[in-house]
Amino acid sequence: MSPSHTAGFARQATETVAVAPVGWRDACLGELDRGGRFCGAYAVGAGAGRRWNALFADGEATRMLSLEVGEGEAVPTIVDLLPGADWDEREAHDLHGLDFAGRESLRPLVAHTAATGSWTVPVSGEGTYQVAVGPIHAGVIESGHFRFHVVGERILHLDPRLFYKHRGLQRAAEGASPERGLAFAQRACGACAVANSVAYALACEAALGLVADREARRGRTLLLELERLYNHLNDIAQICAGVGFAPGNMAFAALKERALRLNAELVGHRFLFGTVAIGAGPEVSAARADALRGALRELGEDAASAWRELSFAASVQARLGGVGVLSAEDAAALGAVGPAARAAGIALDCRSTSPGLWYGSSFAPAAPARPSGDVGARLEVRGVELPATLELLQELLAEPIGAGGSDPGPADPRGVARVESPRGETVCAVELTVARRLGRVHLRTGSYANWPALAHATADNLLPDFPLINKSFELCYACADR
Amino acid sequence: MTAVAALVQVLGGLALAPLLPGTVQSLKARLQGRRGPSPLQPYRELRRLWGKSAADPQPTTLLYRLAPCLVAAATVLALLLVPIAGRAPDWSLGNDALVLVGLLALGRFALSLASWDTGSGFALMGSGRDLTFAVFAEPLLLLTIVVAALPAASTDLVAMGAAAGGSGPWGEPAHWCGAAAFALVVLVETGRQPIDNPDTHLELTMIHEGPLLEYAGRDLALLEWSAAARHWIVLVLAVELFGPHWGGFWEQLGWLALGLVVLCAALAATETAQAKMRILRAPGLMAGGCALALVGLASALVGGLV
Repeated sequence: MSPSHTAGFARQATETVAVAPVGWRDACLGELDRGGRFCGAYAVGAGAGRRWNALFADGEATRMLSLEVGEGEAVPTIVDLLPGADWDEREAHDLHGLDFAGRESLRPLVAHTAATGSWTVPVSGEGTYQVAVGPIHAGVIESGHFRFHVVGERILHLDPRLFYKHRGLQRAAEGASPERGLAFAQRACGACAVANSVAYALACEAALGLVADREARRGRTLLLELERLYNHLNDIAQICAGVGFAPGNMAFAALKERALRLNAELVGHRFLFGTVAIGAGPEVSAARADALRGALRELGEDAASAWRELSFAASVQARLGGVGVLSAEDAAALGAVGPAARAAGIALDCRSTSPGLWYGSSFAPAAPARPSGDVGARLEVRGVELPATLELLQELLAEPIGAGGSDPGPADPRGVARVESPRGETVCAVELTVARRLGRVHLRTGSYANWPALAHATADNLLPDFPLINKSFELCYACADR
Repeated sequence: MTAVAALVQVLGGLALAPLLPGTVQSLKARLQGRRGPSPLQPYRELRRLWGKSAADPQPTTLLYRLAPCLVAAATVLALLLVPIAGRAPDWSLGNDALVLVGLLALGRFALSLASWDTGSGFALMGSGRDLTFAVFAEPLLLLTIVVAALPAASTDLVAMGAAAGGSGPWGEPAHWCGAAAFALVVLVETGRQPIDNPDTHLELTMIHEGPLLEYAGRDLALLEWSAAARHWIVLVLAVELFGPHWGGFWEQLGWLALGLVVLCAALAATETAQAKMRILRAPGLMAGGCALALVGLASALVGGLV
């Protein structure tokens, strides 16, 4: 691996364009025509002077369309052009009081209303009924309510309802210093703590006019890949549990535990908390790097043999094909990211366009042999990415990682960063006030982007297959309930 | 000796039955690299549940209230039909295999009614699946019984057990087919993988656990015991009808004990090696079992003619 970007301004550039309400839909369409990919929208402020910002990713660059929303004005919706913007618009309506014109419905998303009909899609017909699961589940699962519209055992439609533990972290971070805001970003989710913190730190650095140096970039990439390692191991174990295959579950759960213990040895925290800082990176001594390389090599060998056994477990493989299919078209329309998108055959991996991190120019998104978009393909993407991640870790640890720092760069009051979390692209947008305090923090995680895709992939499957489909996406609830 | 058989039948069915699922769970944990619970865990569970009061969801009727007792009563009666080591005490019930099938169906029916009574989605889904499976599982059970009944020319379990003894039946293809089909009966009736996952906490995938979700306390204890007793009934039948057994009463008792241990280990191994099937494929598996039993039946009839 030979990172091509050793020069000064190695970071994702953000370009902001102010748009008038009449031109909003055309501007968004224009972005798509230019090859942009929608990656989130968020509201800023309240009352007069509110803004509605939409983000479009194009290679390493991110472009922002910004619309000023006057008092009592409604924003022209883009959900018909970009179904992936559905949750963003509904959330802005619930949390910032934004109204959207041209939408058929604005069902509550974050605000929980009592009447079921107010937030579910009406489904009717002979023999249809609803099955409600959660928000309290058996087992250690976060709070989420799933309302299935079913006929017989077949799911017609799924309405997920999350945000039961919405903590208002983004609002709480406002007014804090960028350094203090890191704690809010990190605590959005345990399993994505590094991805969220790195995205936040990169966004803050862009806003503050800092560029992380080589060592900081290497250190952060190391943390991101360590996080991916234990998450992928966990996800494979969960898929095995979903079909009741205990040997696979036990093998991969044990490997995940080993990965967590390596994390604890390296940085003192199993889930890598407290390792990311603004304008700095973690330090790894030569002795530690060597020890970690050895342990990871052993872990990699054991993971490979466990994966081989899983590949030959016929009763498991028989459960995976054709279940929970997310087609490439639907994945693209719904803005699916991460393993879910790659399993559908979309070559989308933020790591190939992350100049602020230490992925080489030769990095290519993983591709399953058969990108069928089903549970099997999503499992395979993780199986393919595991060795790639382990190889990356070996390369990163080939030499010790020094104390990272940052160099001065161009400052921009708005910083946006995109980072590939284990579940897909996590976008963080930060706006600073004149006093360099946090004016607005917006975190749109891979899970947030993928939840609507999961609901879509569930339709037309059997009810008892839902836990398996759910585990093949393995999305975080906390990442949405931020 | 009949008195000993009666003792094993009653005490074994009532008191030893929970040991069977307990042993399976314990062995399974070892196979999967966990320490796991002791084989006595089901007894602790039963004691815990027995000390708790029952709770009735509202609105439910008498059906819901009576179902656990009905299930337990049908299971006790079924226990008394199953001979032990070729002997059966005379409880004035006879030992007819078809009555046994009916009693097992009665338990299933009572529980389904109770699920309907609660109106709970998960209970209804569970018993809906159970009843769908029963459409395939009951013919399977019946056909295997017919395969075992042919050499005895009777559906009396004592006569069937006697006809299955010694080495003679093992020369008949029918006996092998029947044994393989009965292995499926064991998996279905005990609710184990690949048909059902007894360890799951995922409501959406439940089959046998579903109808039990609403029950608590003593009601649940009765139902849990009945599930354990069903293990006892089908495993004892498996040994008596299709397992190797020779000699007199005491030898046969030894064979029974050995057979139960081997079958528990086999269940644990199957559950470890096999993931749960996709739900709509389970009827196909059972239909395959039916076909196997039919092949056995045909071979027995043809053999009889020749």
